[in-house]
Amino acid sequence: MADASQTRKDVDLGFCSELLSPSELFAARSRSHKIPVRGQKDFIPDGSKQQQERLERSLEEQWTLLSEERVERLGNLVKAVWIPKEGVVELQSPAGKFWQTMGFSENGKQFLLPEEALYLMECGNVQVFYHELPLSIQEGYERFLSRDTLSLQQYQVFGHLKRLGYVVTRFDPSSRIPSQYEQQLNLPQVSDRPGRRLKRKRSLSPASSQTDGQEGQVGEKMEVEQCQMEDQKPDSTPEPVCTHSRVEEEEKKEEEEVEGPAVRDPAEMETTADCRSWWVEKKADPELRSMPCSGPRWDFHSIPFPDLGCRGRPPSLAPPDPALLPGLLSVGRCDVAPWLRELNKRKEHLSHRERERLRDRARYRRDVNEDREVRRCRNWADYRQLLEKRSQCRHRDRPAHLWEGKVTPLVQPGQYTSYGDLMNRTGVIQPLNLLEAVSRLGQGSEEFNIRYNVYQPDTVADYKKTSPGKPYSRMCVCSFDSPVPDLRTLKLLACQSGDVPVTFAVVDHGDISFYSFKSFQLPTDLPH
Amino acid sequence: MDEREKSGLEEATERRSKTSLPAETTVTFEGSEPGTCRGSAQTHPKIGVYFCGPNPLLWQTAEVKAARNTGVVGTLVGSLARQPRQNNRLGRPLELLQEEARLLRETGDAELLRVSTGADAANPQEVERYHDQLEQSYIEQKSLALQDRKATLLRALTQKQEEEGESVDQSIRDRLEALERGFCLPRSAMAVQLSTARAGLGYGPEERHFLAADWPQPRDERSETRFRVFRDLTRRGYYLTTAGKFGGDYLVYPADPLRFHAHFIAVCIPLDKPMPLCELLALSRLGANVKKTILLCSPSGDDEEGEEEEEVVYTSLKWSGMV
Repeated sequence: MADASQTRKDVDLGFCSELLSPSELFAARSRSHKIPVRGQKDFIPDGSKQQQERLERSLEEQWTLLSEERVERLGNLVKAVWIPKEGVVELQSPAGKFWQTMGFSENGKQFLLPEEALYLMECGNVQVFYHELPLSIQEGYERFLSRDTLSLQQYQVFGHLKRLGYVVTRFDPSSRIPSQYEQQLNLPQVSDRPGRRLKRKRSLSPASSQTDGQEGQVGEKMEVEQCQMEDQKPDSTPEPVCTHSRVEEEEKKEEEEVEGPAVRDPAEMETTADCRSWWVEKKADPELRSMPCSGPRWDFHSIPFPDLGCRGRPPSLAPPDPALLPGLLSVGRCDVAPWLRELNKRKEHLSHRERERLRDRARYRRDVNEDREVRRCRNWADYRQLLEKRSQCRHRDRPAHLWEGKVTPLVQPGQYTSYGDLMNRTGVIQPLNLLEAVSRLGQGSEEFNIRYNVYQPDTVADYKKTSPGKPYSRMCVCSFDSPVPDLRTLKLLACQSGDVPVTFAVVDHGDISFYSFKSFQLPTDLPH
Repeated sequence: MDEREKSGLEEATERRSKTSLPAETTVTFEGSEPGTCRGSAQTHPKIGVYFCGPNPLLWQTAEVKAARNTGVVGTLVGSLARQPRQNNRLGRPLELLQEEARLLRETGDAELLRVSTGADAANPQEVERYHDQLEQSYIEQKSLALQDRKATLLRALTQKQEEEGESVDQSIRDRLEALERGFCLPRSAMAVQLSTARAGLGYGPEERHFLAADWPQPRDERSETRFRVFRDLTRRGYYLTTAGKFGGDYLVYPADPLRFHAHFIAVCIPLDKPMPLCELLALSRLGANVKKTILLCSPSGDDEEGEEEEEVVYTSLKWSGMV
């Protein structure tokens, strides 16, 4: 091995090594930063000297530009270390201006994603070390771009957009896009930064002590409505609780309703804390709003809920799966009998208004036996004839020969008042919005998935990593070898993206083109 | 060479010839065949093509140059060192097509390498050498900086001396000595190189003699067809780049793409594959819009590696007027 590498080194030196001497490094300070403009291209090579000279000049220019190496002041470089096991780059000196739009913090340390680190290496802002030796750009490409992290094509798209000035972040498919209603409510957004490990380690204590006082009243009311426990009054200062998701809270509530009295108090305090804190907490945990079917969340098809109303119910319930319970909670078997006795115990106290309403309803309800015409009927045949006569009267404007056959009229007279509605009714093919009817499509294809969120360059000044806002577009990376995305893929991607348009970045050996599909409504020609 | 015609009936000219392309499209340099201005890189050490995943890349400028001499153009995909934040001119690495890498290997100009990035241990000797190198560079740069400052100071003082008309050589010398004594170059002002290509010895072993069986992508019929067309066109002296945006396989340039426009869009089709007419129409419309001739290329001959008897049949589609 040593021989091979030795010859390689000699070969390198013979092939004009690219290491700069200190004098060259020093002289690099006064290098020009301008790029010469390329002239117009010719169409036919006619072998003239002029063309030859121009070609040589262009080539020389090209080689000069290409062979320039990156030289930076040591003070301008941010030192960083590549951690292959986790696939991130850890910064060891404070980050520079790029921290505004790139990188994430975890456990008090600053990290960069591999594509961000490689881009900054190419820009000459960061020097990444591995085993205490600096990585060259080539090594950066070979180490950072792998099947686990990202492919070369995805990095090319990333670099292309960053060089144009866009802010590009990774798209997290498990984070739910807020629905339109949620957007209207203007709930505080929290973006999950790519520190995936954060979610598992971090134990949320949403009810921080300073907000407890105000939430006291609200929490109590919530508790009475939601927890359905009559005599339970929460403590004024319940201890903060570890939770994983709101869905889990609901689960726990229902489980607690049938849990034995022994574990009622601590469990219920958790519930109340959850109830109260979920409603009023300032920092919404992104997992609280996650859909049950996305990613590593709860699969309710596999979590059974006991049915206590059925006849053959067991006298006691087995303890639930410990994976569904938080932290150190342990639950024994639950005796069902006292709980069943508690059901329906409370007398219904109707208010004065409700009693009146019931009385009014009962007043106009007529007993069918008091109907004179029904009394006149002597047998069932007569009664049925009477019913038919009555229904005929009711449906006088719907003659039986039209409406009772196999083929009925499409429109009832007086049903539609505008041509537009009528046209929609008579249309055989209904126009469908791109985002409609997605739920029954199932899973998407493997090769088309949304990779990046792209934010516009002029929003860089206001861009905040914790609340980036709505992106300008979302990017899918593919190549000309893959087939054109079909309608099913488009619908699934559009649904996943919400109201942000999806752009396809097609990479063709370094050449990138962007395509997008827009839905289109055929105009209908209607007289007014 | 005909430019686009006015719209009318389109006529596909079919000329099957054994050796040459349709007459009006043959281009030659005056006094020389296209093939001769290229040299083989055999006299030089082999080009090292490094794989990043399934993509072949060239990293050293000399290698990029050598590849261009053999007719392989490639695409630059990295940031340019001088101005990294723009997209008009990109820098190294040079990404090669699969066909280009294969051709370079077949002609013996390059060898394909893949560096394994498995868990490798630290190399304390290397680290020490790196730090020594850094230290030496610092010392040299410091002395260079000092010399530079002295020169500037001397120039300023002499200029002042000329203006004032007095002879103050002694004071100049004193100033220079004071400068030398009190000069210090902070460590953070030192210039450091961020190498593009792997500098010197790498960390891990390189797998030389990359076997064909280890070729990253499977060899199917389509890539075979493409490669044979590529090889034939390159042998005739044309320069080829990708043409995904143009709906074809290759863009064919009569000479270096740096200075000339492409003449053809090459579409590779197997000889026996039936082609629907609407596809032909779409292709010719495309060619007419971008002012290039569509070239349908089909390698004929057997599957064996009989390179000498290999022939590729070319058909061009030209938009012409009503006769």
